[in-house]
Amino acid sequence: MSGHHTPQGSPFAPHTATDTEAMLDAVGVETEAELFDIPDSVRFDGEFGIEPRSERAIRAEVAQTVEKNDDLVELLGRGHYSHYVPSLVDHLSLRSEFLTSYTQYQPEVTQGFLQALFEYQSLLVELTGLGVANCSMYDAATALGEAATLADRLRQTSGTRVLVPEQLADGRREVLANYVGGTDLVVEAYPMDDGNVDVEALGNALDDEAVMVYAENPTVRGCVEESLETVGDLAHDNDALFCLGSDPVSLALLQEPASVGADVVVGAAAVLGLPTSYGMGMGLFATREEYVRQVPGRLVGASTDDTGRRTYTLTLQTREQHIRRERATSNICTNQAWVALRAAIHAASLGPDGLADLATEAVTDAQELADRVTEVVGVKAPVHDRHHVREFVARTDQPAPAVAADLEDEGYAVHVLGEHQIQLNANALAEGEVDEFVDALAEVAR
Amino acid sequence: MSFETPDDRKYNESHEWALRDGGTVRVGISDFAQDELGDVVFVELPDVGEAVTQGEAFGVIESIKAVSDLYAPVSGEVTAVNEALFDAPEQVNEDPFGDGWMLEIELSDEAELDELLSAGDYADQVA
Amino acid sequence: MNYDQARWTDDDERYEPLLSEKHTAEADLDDAPLPDELTRDSLELPDLSEPELARHYTRLSEMNYGVDSGPYPLGSCTMKYNPKFTEDVAAIEAGAVHPDRSPESVQGNLELLYDLQDYLGRIGGMDAVTLQPPAGAAGEFTGVLVAKAYHEHNGDERSEIIVPESAHGTNFASAALAGFDVVSLPGGDDGRVDLDALESALSDETALLMLTNPNTLGLFERDIEEISEMVHDAGGLLYYDGANLNALLGRARPGDMGFDIMHYNVHKTFATPHGGGGPGAGPVGVVGELAPFLPKPQVEKRDGTYDLFDPEHSIGKVHGSLGNWLVLVKAYAYIARLGDPGLADASAKAVLNANYLASQIEYEVPYGPFHHEFVASAGDQDAADVAKRMLDYGVHPPTTKWPEIVGEALMTEPTEIENKTTLDQLADAFNAVADEDQDALAAAPERTAARRIDQTGAARNLRLSWQALDDE
Repeated sequence: MSGHHTPQGSPFAPHTATDTEAMLDAVGVETEAELFDIPDSVRFDGEFGIEPRSERAIRAEVAQTVEKNDDLVELLGRGHYSHYVPSLVDHLSLRSEFLTSYTQYQPEVTQGFLQALFEYQSLLVELTGLGVANCSMYDAATALGEAATLADRLRQTSGTRVLVPEQLADGRREVLANYVGGTDLVVEAYPMDDGNVDVEALGNALDDEAVMVYAENPTVRGCVEESLETVGDLAHDNDALFCLGSDPVSLALLQEPASVGADVVVGAAAVLGLPTSYGMGMGLFATREEYVRQVPGRLVGASTDDTGRRTYTLTLQTREQHIRRERATSNICTNQAWVALRAAIHAASLGPDGLADLATEAVTDAQELADRVTEVVGVKAPVHDRHHVREFVARTDQPAPAVAADLEDEGYAVHVLGEHQIQLNANALAEGEVDEFVDALAEVAR
Repeated sequence: MSFETPDDRKYNESHEWALRDGGTVRVGISDFAQDELGDVVFVELPDVGEAVTQGEAFGVIESIKAVSDLYAPVSGEVTAVNEALFDAPEQVNEDPFGDGWMLEIELSDEAELDELLSAGDYADQVA
Repeated sequence: MNYDQARWTDDDERYEPLLSEKHTAEADLDDAPLPDELTRDSLELPDLSEPELARHYTRLSEMNYGVDSGPYPLGSCTMKYNPKFTEDVAAIEAGAVHPDRSPESVQGNLELLYDLQDYLGRIGGMDAVTLQPPAGAAGEFTGVLVAKAYHEHNGDERSEIIVPESAHGTNFASAALAGFDVVSLPGGDDGRVDLDALESALSDETALLMLTNPNTLGLFERDIEEISEMVHDAGGLLYYDGANLNALLGRARPGDMGFDIMHYNVHKTFATPHGGGGPGAGPVGVVGELAPFLPKPQVEKRDGTYDLFDPEHSIGKVHGSLGNWLVLVKAYAYIARLGDPGLADASAKAVLNANYLASQIEYEVPYGPFHHEFVASAGDQDAADVAKRMLDYGVHPPTTKWPEIVGEALMTEPTEIENKTTLDQLADAFNAVADEDQDALAAAPERTAARRIDQTGAARNLRLSWQALDDE
């Protein structure tokens, strides 16, 4: 019998019985089992107990499973945002020549992806004003961790202090702690003042033991940071690296990082290209050209081929783990290249005005929602007297956990920050949904 | 393939050469070493005035496919650095014993030179 | 097989122009709803219509080679076919939630993650699994941190991790990132771990031995039980690098061999697409004793309800959220599609394919018996040139010049997805190149979108953005 695969086999192993026979013959064995050079004592004779299912059944099964999630309107943010991703992004990024390729070890046959990544790097160079951007890290948290290890390698002093804002997403704080765990760096928090860096306190905290100062714009609470230049000056006065956290949508409007002295920019680059996908992201990493040999991860550079035409190739690979091993700038190999492709297509489809408009709306939507919810009895917003991007913190007279739980019953998910603080991402609400949300909040907050 | 090993200088087992000129020693890497590395794309060297120690790393050399530490053949203060290599690292490949030189070191202990390999012994090592 | 890759040529200077060379514009920032001092001065970006973009990216895709284009036997990378339906499963919108949702409100996602943890535990013979690491190297880093936390918890600080010389570069880098000294273990004459060398490397400083099994030559470490005993007797732990798990599905499990910690490369073994370099996912499995050290949070099931909890001595987090969700869903769908018989068959056919292909090529294949991959030697030819020439025959070449234990290495992993006809074409490509002279190799590739690219020029004259090109 020669079916297209054995009835009990992998549907993606296309061997006919005749071919299998011929191949076994050529190798000189009778059965596949003979090919496994495994001592009997460690052979596995049991079963996993995983029943194979049809494609159709699995689609139905997973749909049924994930649809057990409550269908909530998510006013959640803090580093993860759902900006509308145009259909174009799916259709082009899912072209299988892109999707089913791997790292461009053979550049002659992978020019397409290389050029797309070169364009992605260029987009970030434009947004940050810095000379070099890599072609992705896993997420914003690991990018921050990599920034600290870069600061560790660059430091000229015996200093060990990494200063981060006291208000920082838990994921970023905890990943950073693990990335510096192999160095002698110590992470310390500096105070915030009404949602912005407390520059006086930071100034007092800084000394020549500081290696890196990290600040965010917008902050994790959605505030536009107003003292970036001062923060940069303070860091540089103490020979510390200034690392700024941001995202490519906000950067279309807010101060250019290079113009405020940022040495490294990290952040959540998947705000373009991916809707919130239960935390899957992509890390932005850009830095000054002079630090290019300390950059973690892959870099695409321009070159020429034998015809003299411009081409693209991975470059400076001696920084990477497959060549420099334990002395590599990072252990990263597989990255988030496909998400970078998606982000680049998304940015290109928005164009300069589209991207700036998205950032502008993120500011005005936050302002408008804050204006509305502060009218609600029992709510004051925004808590911080600052400009906001997408989201802001609101004070509730009622205990915040109770307000959030009641809102969840009404179909809305919000962050709880403290006993009487919730955080709301206005970007999540479509135009017609604001009234309904404000009504629901009025119900539960009084 | 045979490699040049000029006998006017001495060698490290790690392929650096040392050419004495009075109280100064000029340092570079051998023909064999540049060939092993392939196209050199970057050389990182210490600043003038820094001290280097025999047997310890003073810099890094990178090609497309490999990266290697550079080890000082003698100890002393760096009195000159071949800055031309920063813009034209290919000089290491093209002329390893001439324009591809890297450092000049003020010799602090003459006896250290005796610990290095002669051109003949080094030629045997890389043959 | 004849092959000519699409090649869009604009003029003598370039192929498909950059977005920035087509049309750019300045954003209008005059009406920004913020004070001037808080906004940027200008923003210049490509400004193109949707049809122009569709054409640009379609052309780029045509100048890119993937598994769907042809054979992709890139050793150590397990370039399997990526079943299309898994994309549709991952795209089910109800799963695309915010990571900070309350556990009660995302029971569906937690159930899927829990079931995937369970599947992976069974496949690897591990008691507990975290899905958080977003790639294989992140899995290694997680495993190393778990080992570090475990030893420290026992008041036993250890400073060294032993890694075989022929291991993946990430092993060395992950150990170093966690602050360990790396002890490189020379290989034995048979290409496997040399027990004497291991004995001398082990000490009371040994925190972990990291092993790939089968190793990077495709050889099963037959002495694995003895290795395990030696490492454990020295007070160390044993780590399994899952890069080569596709050789063993249903035949052997790391947990049964004495491994304490392992990572799974779901983008290799479980067929999630490699995406031009990522995303992947690198879940980590551990034996029960190490479960309290796993990253937080972990998914648990109690009375039919799913929840998140922080393991008692958790190492903290290795990813800002719960990892690469979309990739994990695809892995779940793949495992469910194959089930027990399919997974076992995948490994059987992967091993059969590697052995068959090796028997058909003229290049010498030292060492054996190998499993899912083999390392041939290009002999007098330069392996990098061989790879370039193979491109002209419509196949992606093997991994080259690594592991270094084989001179001019051609590390070849055809995976189970190729049929005999394709393997014969692949063998023809190897053999045609083996018979060609240096001139033919040096002129290659000729049929790809770009001709031989100047790597040296790219590194000596760094241009990493279109802005850098404009500055010239």
